[in-house]
Amino acid sequence: MSFSAPPPASGEPYVLSASLDNARHLSSLLRAVHFQDHATCFATASGLRVTVEDAKCIQANAFIQAEIFQEFAVQEESVMFRINLSVLLDCLTIFGTSSLPGTSTALRMCYRGYGYPLMLFLEEGGVVTVCKINTQEPEDLLDFDFCSTKVVNKIILQSEGLREAFAELDMTSEVLQITMSPDKPYFRLSTFGNAGSAHLDYPRDSDLMEAFHCNQTQTNRYKISLLKPSTKALALSCKVSIRTDAQGFLSLQYMIRNEDGQICFVEYYCCPDENITEAEL
Amino acid sequence: MKCVIGGAQLRVFGRAIHAIARISDEFWFDPVEKGLALRSVNSSRSAYAYVFFSSMFFQHYCWTAVSDPCHKEKELSLPCKLIVKAVLPVFRCANVLGRNVEKCSISTSPSDHHITFQLLCKHGVVKTYNLTFQECDPLQAVFAKHMCPNILKVHSRLLADVMIHFPTSQEEITLSVTPVKVCFKSYTEEDTDFSRTMVTEIHLSPEEFDYFQVGVDSEVTFCLKELRGLLAFSEATGVPVSIHFDRCGKPIAFSIEDVLLEASLILATLCEAQKEADSQERCCPQQWGSSETHPDKPSGDEPNSTDISKHPQRDGNAPTNPVAKQEVKSIPRVTGRDVTGRAGTATAEAAGEATEAPYQKFHSLFFGAVSYKEKDATGHTFQSLATASDTEEDLGPLQSSPVL
Repeated sequence: MSFSAPPPASGEPYVLSASLDNARHLSSLLRAVHFQDHATCFATASGLRVTVEDAKCIQANAFIQAEIFQEFAVQEESVMFRINLSVLLDCLTIFGTSSLPGTSTALRMCYRGYGYPLMLFLEEGGVVTVCKINTQEPEDLLDFDFCSTKVVNKIILQSEGLREAFAELDMTSEVLQITMSPDKPYFRLSTFGNAGSAHLDYPRDSDLMEAFHCNQTQTNRYKISLLKPSTKALALSCKVSIRTDAQGFLSLQYMIRNEDGQICFVEYYCCPDENITEAEL
Repeated sequence: MKCVIGGAQLRVFGRAIHAIARISDEFWFDPVEKGLALRSVNSSRSAYAYVFFSSMFFQHYCWTAVSDPCHKEKELSLPCKLIVKAVLPVFRCANVLGRNVEKCSISTSPSDHHITFQLLCKHGVVKTYNLTFQECDPLQAVFAKHMCPNILKVHSRLLADVMIHFPTSQEEITLSVTPVKVCFKSYTEEDTDFSRTMVTEIHLSPEEFDYFQVGVDSEVTFCLKELRGLLAFSEATGVPVSIHFDRCGKPIAFSIEDVLLEASLILATLCEAQKEADSQERCCPQQWGSSETHPDKPSGDEPNSTDISKHPQRDGNAPTNPVAKQEVKSIPRVTGRDVTGRAGTATAEAAGEATEAPYQKFHSLFFGAVSYKEKDATGHTFQSLATASDTEEDLGPLQSSPVL
């Protein structure tokens, strides 16, 4: 069902208004990037992007394109605000998180512009909840400047092959080391924890490997605590693309299919960890 | 040492690791010529587990004793200690191991102080774990199974079906036997408020057991938690479980053995200070204390020298060797005191506790020195020691340990 937007009090149109039959299409994606309380929302005519950052080293973006929504209208060229993501998720899932077949929460989202709160109208089974969440001044976001021309190594893997590995990462290790190479071991994830080291090798001819384009041997280390939240995105996704550039910046792009079979993307960018000295086995 | 475990046996091996994990945070990893031994003991020394995989269990098993006189390194034949938490992730989800993993190879590199576990998984994925180990002194429990008057043998399925009725929070259970009845019941402290407790009792008849021998009526109370691990392991192997025990206060042993592997779990049992008049004699630590260090053993016995890895010959269904069986059967169901010194000579740590007879205490197992005859009998190159020594001195094979 869709709501008709309540008439704006002062005649100003909503800068952003959107309707979604199944709020889970939005909430599950937002959960995949929810590793900090605050997020920056950026809306254009093509859709909504929600960005979360930490420590100036890691950035996660969830993209929900306009086609996913039943209605999506942006009056200005772009709309941007900062919001408490934990609160937003709590509101979106206010009717509970378990998904019974046939029931879903309908959502209408409205934003009047700078200084106004984000309004959410949620309905399930005839019960309506109205939420108003304060918005904040958007902060500058990191620009990893990751474009396809700068990519040195790229592989695309089926997510099922990585899920177990990421869930079982040895968290006593400070870093996750990623090796990508045209030669053995091709693609290797390594940790160096209290009890010893662990290596996970994926050969280039594995049937999990959808694409393998490695031109140069690169070994980079990333703080494991920063990358661990990406496990949530991995769990939802069916495929993941892993790319590095000449500086060792890492891009993880997750292709996620929602309940209706529509495709959305979540991506994580991470800086390599410079401080840790070589100590591998 | 290098060995390879095939996919089918991985589930068994994984379950063994999980069973050992219930005992303690670390375990002894001990490759010897004939196979691989894993041992663990808990901090209170009241539970000891031992699993031995013969070389035939593995797809490939290769062990060489390497001694390098130039280095200060000890011989490869000394066991090493691994942290359980480090090894468990390797064998996580033991149930699905067989499906996802084609094989696992284990190799040791003493000079690097690493043991490497490498799993070849589905889709060509290779998982390699290089775990550090600590060198340590050998560990071995001394327990004369064949001296136990009570022996039950039953398929692990039956035991698992019995144990499932006890809540997972149930810490201790009591096994009570007479020649006509077997009963498992939950153990409750005397001051428990019975109106708020659920007590479970399961009665079995002797016919349910593959082998049933009760030489002396007894009621033994032991920890359930460690037993569950062994039961899961024996279910994976399909080998029946033998239970050797005596009166309360003496350890109880659960063991399985077949051609490829053997395992034992030895648990201390609770010693009740005061029992009903017509059942067991009173087990007081003083009695142990007096008979412990200089046991009054009938000549010709080798009680102390029996170690777990030496299993008695089979005789049909009976899990003990024929001589011992006769010996054991000849013990009447007694209430007399003279039997104390003979049966179940795993000695208890009695010295310090001799004055505490009225209190109910768990006797801890004492890992004592093994007799000199042992060395020739088994060909093992080390003797048992109760505790790891702090020094780096080379331990001679015949060194005996002090009493704990």
